[in-house]
Amino acid sequence: MAEKPMWEQIGAGFVQHYYQQFDSNRGLLADLYTEASCLTWEGQGFQGKNAIMEKLTNLPFQKIQHSITAQDHQPTPDSCVISMVVGQLKVDDDPVMGFHQLFLLKNIDNKWICSNDMFRLALHNFG
Amino acid sequence: IRMGDKPIWEQIGSSFVQHYYQLFDADRTQLGAIYIDASCLTWEGQQFQGKAAIVEKLSSLPFQKIAHSITAQDHQPTPDSCILSMVVGQLKADDDPIMGFHQMFLLKNINDAWVCTNDMFRLALHNFG
Repeated sequence: MAEKPMWEQIGAGFVQHYYQQFDSNRGLLADLYTEASCLTWEGQGFQGKNAIMEKLTNLPFQKIQHSITAQDHQPTPDSCVISMVVGQLKVDDDPVMGFHQLFLLKNIDNKWICSNDMFRLALHNFG
Repeated sequence: IRMGDKPIWEQIGSSFVQHYYQLFDADRTQLGAIYIDASCLTWEGQQFQGKAAIVEKLSSLPFQKIAHSITAQDHQPTPDSCILSMVVGQLKADDDPIMGFHQMFLLKNINDAWVCTNDMFRLALHNFG
């Protein structure tokens, strides 16, 4: 178990926790963000823990399930961890959709919080 | 053209993204200038460290022609004054079918130039199960 680099353990731990929490009770995600956090959700920007939580809790579905296809983690020059996730999700009775998400994690007071979060559905305009 | 409305990080991020894919599609062996020795690339789960290893990987990708098409891009400033950019798009390599991809870049200003310190690329392929 000691083979994985530290940033991979931190990133994978965060990602697992995030989606488990999102799928069971996304209102409890607040602890992962601070006042300085930014979320871009399908192109819309939200600044700070309160605005982010308001957006996430108001998403218009009852049930959601995320499935991770792949995740990658890297350390950054400023001692943060960056994590990229490609996966699929199912909301209520809608068809399964692909998604992409990115997290920048920063250690503040011995706790890894999310300073930057970007989410996009994998939808393309065929043209 | 009203250029003044977009935040600076969005201008820098979208400029970088445009430049990156134009260069990639025209001659990806020239991408060295955007990386430094501390840069990391994760390409389809494989890690590459430093400008030389990254350019070697990109140059030796097994296709002749490639065209990227950006569906969406998002940019944010980070707490450490970097810029984070995420791209969702499609690509076509040689005569292969079009495939979705997902890429992210972390940009850092070093000596007045924006370089890419972190780069992650994945094809949007899922195991249906």
